[in-house]
Amino acid sequence: MSDSIIPCELRSVVKSFGRTAVLRGVSLRLEAGQVTGLSGINGAGKTTLFRILAGLDDADAGEVCFGSSGDVGVHEGVREHVAFVTHAPQLYPLLSARENLELFAALRAARGRETMPATEALASVGLEAANDRAVRTFSRGMAQRVVLARAVAARPALMLLDEPFTALDADGQELVRRILREARARGASVLLSSHDLDRLCEVSDRVVRLHEGRLALPLERGADEAPARLKARLQASP
Amino acid sequence: MLQNGTVTALRQTWVLARNDLRQELRELELVVTSVFFTVVILALYAVSFAEMSKSAQPKAVPGMLWIALAFVGALTLTRVFEREREADTFAALLAAPVNRVAIYGAKFSVTLVVLCVCAAVLVPGLLLVFPGSGVEGWSAVEMLATVLLGCAGFAAVGTLFAAGLAHSGGKNVLLSVVLYPLTTPVLMMSLVATQRVLQAHPGAWDILAKIAAVDVILVIVGGALFESVLVGGAARSSRGAEAGPDMLGGQSR
Repeated sequence: MSDSIIPCELRSVVKSFGRTAVLRGVSLRLEAGQVTGLSGINGAGKTTLFRILAGLDDADAGEVCFGSSGDVGVHEGVREHVAFVTHAPQLYPLLSARENLELFAALRAARGRETMPATEALASVGLEAANDRAVRTFSRGMAQRVVLARAVAARPALMLLDEPFTALDADGQELVRRILREARARGASVLLSSHDLDRLCEVSDRVVRLHEGRLALPLERGADEAPARLKARLQASP
Repeated sequence: MLQNGTVTALRQTWVLARNDLRQELRELELVVTSVFFTVVILALYAVSFAEMSKSAQPKAVPGMLWIALAFVGALTLTRVFEREREADTFAALLAAPVNRVAIYGAKFSVTLVVLCVCAAVLVPGLLLVFPGSGVEGWSAVEMLATVLLGCAGFAAVGTLFAAGLAHSGGKNVLLSVVLYPLTTPVLMMSLVATQRVLQAHPGAWDILAKIAAVDVILVIVGGALFESVLVGGAARSSRGAEAGPDMLGGQSR
């Protein structure tokens, strides 16, 4: 069931590194078919929030719950419905783009999960001509496209996109917009962060600001609300 | 009959080990480094102990073998997670629906393969340089089993700590501090087994059975602790990004 982990909810999540409190009781609910934009200055705790949702870090306190039954914790069964894209490529440089995707497809296949064929996923991000080139020969933008292809191939119910526009040219940025439209259309939930507030407000159904480890109330985008208006409200929010 | 989770973990272990070996075949980084180091040690032994009497060789050569394998093993373990560390693919693997035990199993297998390749150079080399090492009629099968079981025990412990240390900023000096005390029992048992094998001692299989039992325990404990070592290491490594994003290539948090 691709929608079994949605809604996803963070409940009073706390995370510290040593004496530095990074998240101070963050609560957030992610709904199906909705793109939630996450803003915040450097050091606000955005990446920590993503890492906890992806199962890379444990929260010190609070819960991460998935699905209508409120399944707690980012276990293996949850992670098969999640795709995590960061500003770092996280690809094996010696492998080709196709081999990188096939590796993660094979790991999912071992759990009985089907993924989109690698060549099809790479074609969807405009890399059909570079399927068999080693990733180490790729530009940073091309590597970012491969990471997006890996995420799309998994057909995830929850997409975590931490600065996905990094290093992408205009076509690449349009590609991210298309991925978001497709995710919304199939009922997936997306959490997306960007330092570019114009872009964040343009692609999000609602935006929320993380400041000093605390999350402000989400601002829903009105039916015909212009991105500039949403951005103004976001900047004016406490 | 194996449970579904075990079958999945075994399949994922195979996928990850195959991926590592495929990359190793393209670059030969681990194998070349480790085999070259092995050859250097062999050459040093040959020069240093050229005058050793034949009567002393059966006692000395097993020690040479396991000292060399311990050093080669440590060298291998400092590199076995390097691809994941350099390209940050650890995070991609941990965020994917991968059983953590499969990552342990794959890295354990790769370490074992590299150690066995080095042993395949070291054992014939030592026997060639020190022809009095073994009595007539010693069993090659028993020697193969000794090397395999000894290396497996070493790799089982080493893989666990190499993961945590590679993840926490690559402080490889700590690996040796932790690794050698913990692997000493396996190394000692393997040394005794090698002496018995070379002397065609009838009790060789007894000690090999004990090493096998210890290996099973070490692999089970290693697999069980791996997730906490790995996720703890992930948390420690992410702390760097939290502390100074702009100093770490513009990483944000």
